[in-house]
Amino acid sequence: MAAIPHDSPAPPRPAATSRYVAWAGSVGELCDVVDRLGGLAAELGAPSPDGAEWHGQLFGKLRPQVTREPVMVAAVCGGTNTGKSLVSNVLVGAEISRSLPEAARTRCPVASLPRGLAKSVDLAALFPGFTPQAWSSDTDALGGSAAGDDLLVWREDPVGRQPARLILIDTPDVDGTLRENWHRAEAVRNACDVIVAVLTQQKYNDAAVRDFFAAAAAAGKSLVVVFNMVNWPAQRERIAGWYATFVAETGAAPLAVYAVPHDFARAESGTIEFFHLPELTGGTADPAAAPVDLAAVLAGVDFDRIKLQAMEGAFRVVLDPSAGMATWLDAIESSSREWHDARGVLAEEAQVRVELPSAPRELVWNEIWEWLEPRRSSIDINLSRLYRVAGSGAAWVGRRIGIGRTAEERRDDFTAVELSALKQALSTFIDRLDGACRRSPRLRALLGDTLVRGDRAAWYADLERRHAALPMVSDDYRIFVRGELDRFSRENPKFLQVLLTGLSLGSVARPCITVGLMVAGAAAVPAAAAAGHGLTTLVHTAGDYVVWAVAPLAGEGVLGLTMAGLKPLLERLFAGWSAERSRVLTETLHAVVLGDRLEVIERLATAGGRPEVARARRLLYDCGREFSR
Amino acid sequence: MTDMPSLGPNDAPTVVPPTPAPGFDDAGFDDLITGLARWSGALPDWPPARRVRAEWEEVAPRLDRARRELSRVLVVGVIGGTGTGKSTLVNALAGRDVSPAGDVARPTTVAPVVVVARDVDCSWLALDEVGARVVTSDAAAVANIVLIDCPDPDTQGPVTLPPAGGAQLPVGGTQRPSEKNHNRDLLERILPACDVLLLVATAQKYRSWSVASEVAAFAPGRPLLFVQTHASRDADIRDDWRRELERQGIEAPAIHRLDGLEAARRAAAGLEPEPGFAGLVKAIDEELVGRAARRVRRTGALDLAGWFLSQALGQLAPLQQPVAELASGVAAQTGRLEGLMEKAVAGKLRASRPAWQRVMQEELVERWQGGPFAMFLHALAGLGSLWPKLRGGGLVGRILSGQGVPTVATGDGAWQSIEEIGLAEADVEQSRSILVGLAARATIGEPMVGRARLDERAVQTSVGTLMERTGHWLVGGVDRLVAERRDRVDSPLMHGVCEVLFGALIVAVLGRAAWNFFYGHLWQGHPLGGLGFLEEALVWIILWGLFLRWIVFARLRAGLDRDIAGLVTRLPGARLVDPFLHDFAAAANTSAAFLETGDDLARRHAALEARVVEGRSTLGRLKGHTP
Repeated sequence: MAAIPHDSPAPPRPAATSRYVAWAGSVGELCDVVDRLGGLAAELGAPSPDGAEWHGQLFGKLRPQVTREPVMVAAVCGGTNTGKSLVSNVLVGAEISRSLPEAARTRCPVASLPRGLAKSVDLAALFPGFTPQAWSSDTDALGGSAAGDDLLVWREDPVGRQPARLILIDTPDVDGTLRENWHRAEAVRNACDVIVAVLTQQKYNDAAVRDFFAAAAAAGKSLVVVFNMVNWPAQRERIAGWYATFVAETGAAPLAVYAVPHDFARAESGTIEFFHLPELTGGTADPAAAPVDLAAVLAGVDFDRIKLQAMEGAFRVVLDPSAGMATWLDAIESSSREWHDARGVLAEEAQVRVELPSAPRELVWNEIWEWLEPRRSSIDINLSRLYRVAGSGAAWVGRRIGIGRTAEERRDDFTAVELSALKQALSTFIDRLDGACRRSPRLRALLGDTLVRGDRAAWYADLERRHAALPMVSDDYRIFVRGELDRFSRENPKFLQVLLTGLSLGSVARPCITVGLMVAGAAAVPAAAAAGHGLTTLVHTAGDYVVWAVAPLAGEGVLGLTMAGLKPLLERLFAGWSAERSRVLTETLHAVVLGDRLEVIERLATAGGRPEVARARRLLYDCGREFSR
Repeated sequence: MTDMPSLGPNDAPTVVPPTPAPGFDDAGFDDLITGLARWSGALPDWPPARRVRAEWEEVAPRLDRARRELSRVLVVGVIGGTGTGKSTLVNALAGRDVSPAGDVARPTTVAPVVVVARDVDCSWLALDEVGARVVTSDAAAVANIVLIDCPDPDTQGPVTLPPAGGAQLPVGGTQRPSEKNHNRDLLERILPACDVLLLVATAQKYRSWSVASEVAAFAPGRPLLFVQTHASRDADIRDDWRRELERQGIEAPAIHRLDGLEAARRAAAGLEPEPGFAGLVKAIDEELVGRAARRVRRTGALDLAGWFLSQALGQLAPLQQPVAELASGVAAQTGRLEGLMEKAVAGKLRASRPAWQRVMQEELVERWQGGPFAMFLHALAGLGSLWPKLRGGGLVGRILSGQGVPTVATGDGAWQSIEEIGLAEADVEQSRSILVGLAARATIGEPMVGRARLDERAVQTSVGTLMERTGHWLVGGVDRLVAERRDRVDSPLMHGVCEVLFGALIVAVLGRAAWNFFYGHLWQGHPLGGLGFLEEALVWIILWGLFLRWIVFARLRAGLDRDIAGLVTRLPGARLVDPFLHDFAAAANTSAAFLETGDDLARRHAALEARVVEGRSTLGRLKGHTP
């Protein structure tokens, strides 16, 4: 392999990095759009990109390295107790990481930096996710056992032989029992350019080890394979078979293969020998060849070529249509479609018709009468008074014989029935929400917790409290009535005349009307009243109900026959009163049951069409074209 | 694991009547198993209980086998990562090369090798189905066990979990040779047939995740032997391994350390075995053969039952509180509905003053016979009955007028008929909706409990039951109340006083009339005064009678409101509203009973285990199963 000069290490050539530096803009934009979409994707329930290979390459490799002065990162990786620390120490030329007989002791990566690099390189940026910590002893890497404690121990080359742009890293294992720690090795793998793969005859074909190196090969990392603990030279012939299996399994094309004989004494003293096996990488075998200095070999590789290859590999992973970032965007879009369906389910289920009792007639009529008072003729006023006196006399008699109720009692009766209707509507609503959650897993994810963990007794208590605090005639309603009547009289200039002419008729007909309206009168979840609360799903359907419920019933009143022109107006006034009353139900639903979840659903259902998604798609397309050029 | 058939007993070969093992309470263990079987199937409608059932169905056949096949030889599965020297060890134990071993290629063992002594029948192991090869051996170490050299768990991919956000291994997509590797699947079909696991590890592999996850899956109820191989090459890692096993919840009293190659060489050459290997052979002989085998099987079964219980109770533990909350929720909602009912019934009873009056009058009239006042009361009652009875509507009215419980109307009428006693549909629905939420918290749903709104049939039955119960309760209460009041005035003294007072006026009137006639008219010669005086007197008599009646009834009525209040406070004891919430009450009770039974079984298991603690061997086991 040309990249591994064994005879005369060539000095590193000046950086030829223009190719991937040109990608800096695209990488920045990609990272930006992923950051922007991250929150939304999590909310959508799309799989987190954090564990995905493309994400690791984009954020762990491309972003930190595309704009910085290129350094080459070589990582020593392998399974537990295969001798990674030993190999690392030999490469560095000093004991940076304690090599111990117990397995899985290196818990966090240890980096050896060339002299002077610590000042110029930002390790936290170069190795995202790790907290750099200066080296104090060779046992640093053994600590930090707690998961989430992602330290990166670093030390400047104590010997002074490390090439100026080469960082060497000893990594934790990739197959230990503490699986939650595997991500540290994976993060180092993402960031590095060269991997020294430490294999043994026991582990070269372990699935965990294979998968680790296959991902590295797929991301364009250059591999140097070291078979450790070999019975040398007895097993020399075996290595070809092991190596063939490894290459076939991982798809890797290693730069070179070395064998390290099993030798207790040398391992103890840190003087293990690396025997080059050129026959495995296209060269000719030389059984008599002396061991090589692997550190020198690494120092002599073509940094820029390897770096470019690693950067290209990383980009390829990100752009891969079947496994790269595009799959994440697909997931976002398909999640959004599911939310769209969930919204449909909710709209279908969460409709409740509230059968409110008929309004106490005098309340609405009093408002109308009050508006009319200054516009009435004396005859009409007198007639009206006559009725009022007669009416109160009849009411007094009724009360005495026990079949009449006072106005207060009637109102109490009304509010009790009204509260019952509202509570029943709330029960039905909760039941429908339960049903919607059963139908849609997405809704269950969003609302299930509220429905199961929520204190339902408190919801009813909230409704009762709001209902108790509701005035019989609110100022809003008063303004609404005045506005409606004013508007009507403006739009119908003859209205007052008609009304005044008809007033005698009106007042004569009044008892009939009120009786008629007592039989009629119904409303539903408020329309206008709730419009400001963002309950779009509820409100739309509710409006239909108001029209449906009130129009035919009110129309049967004598009012409709006598004053056909006024019919729609009166319908609106009565419906408006009921709507105003039942607003408390909407408030309870909004304030204590649903919160802002309807807005959330609305947002998620339309997330697939967000400009960020389109921008991400376009960026991927552009990058793909740029990359293939 | 694939859905291929797993290696297991074809049939139970020999059923040996169990002989008691020392320290082992066989009857108690059988009781425990029966209890577990009954418990796991007790509540099939509750999802957590269903999961317990599903787990039981996995465990039950093993427990059953352990009970039936007490004296069969133990099957020892040799497991470990590839390259740890499993086959080499098996060869050493078998005394000859029975399983290919070496460093040529990984994995070496792709089909299980079963080592048995010549005279041991292993036909009950379904060996063909997993492609196992049977070899016989005369070696003493395997004379009384069946040894299986298992495939490794670590060469079959992928070990990576299903990738998040896209496939994990993207580029290239070429066929990998390992895609044909099914060693782990094969292993998972062999291990169920093993009674004991012999775990082989090296310095490189004792912390291997893939081995650890297989052991975790199969260790429950299977005693473990531990062997560190490659002793001549690797450092002694047994202490660290023991710590690692400890972390995995496995107790390892003894770990053997040996060199398989050396042991096999010496065995083949007929030399004295090295100490490590000799220790392992001795352990097999002492711990797995003869009476020890029976003990291993028994304690293994007990451990398995304990593991099942700890798993089940571990899953159920978070439900203790929700179930308790549901029970208290049912109590709270029952109380709420009863409160509404109390208020309405009391109001209704208080408002039915004329009805009370009539009931009490009828009682009194019936008892007071003879005498002028009694006749007066009878006459008044007779006059009253000329008026059509003011029939009280509704339940309370009908009961006070002695007409009994009305029948339940259909449709919305059912609700209307109980509205007067304070139970509106909305209130019942509110309570049920709150309980639906609490039940969902305990993962209780249909069909254990219904929905918030009762369907028409349920309404019909519930309302019917409620009205019947309320009717009986009310009739009893009203009768008692009336009887108490009646007893207040129904004394000979009171009756006598009334009769005397009423009779006195009549006597006075008659005396006066007699005086007027005999003295005034006959003696003095005054003219007769006509009937005017008598007419006047009659009016006074009637007024006097009415006055006395008023006094009597005032005494009857006194404190009626207080007594009504007293009556309705006894309403909760009558459990009147239960029909509306009975499904939730039943669900809370049965689920609480299920949890309680589980705890009880765990206590019984702990007691059984306490008896065998002394009999434990140096075999390893999964610990911490006592919940």
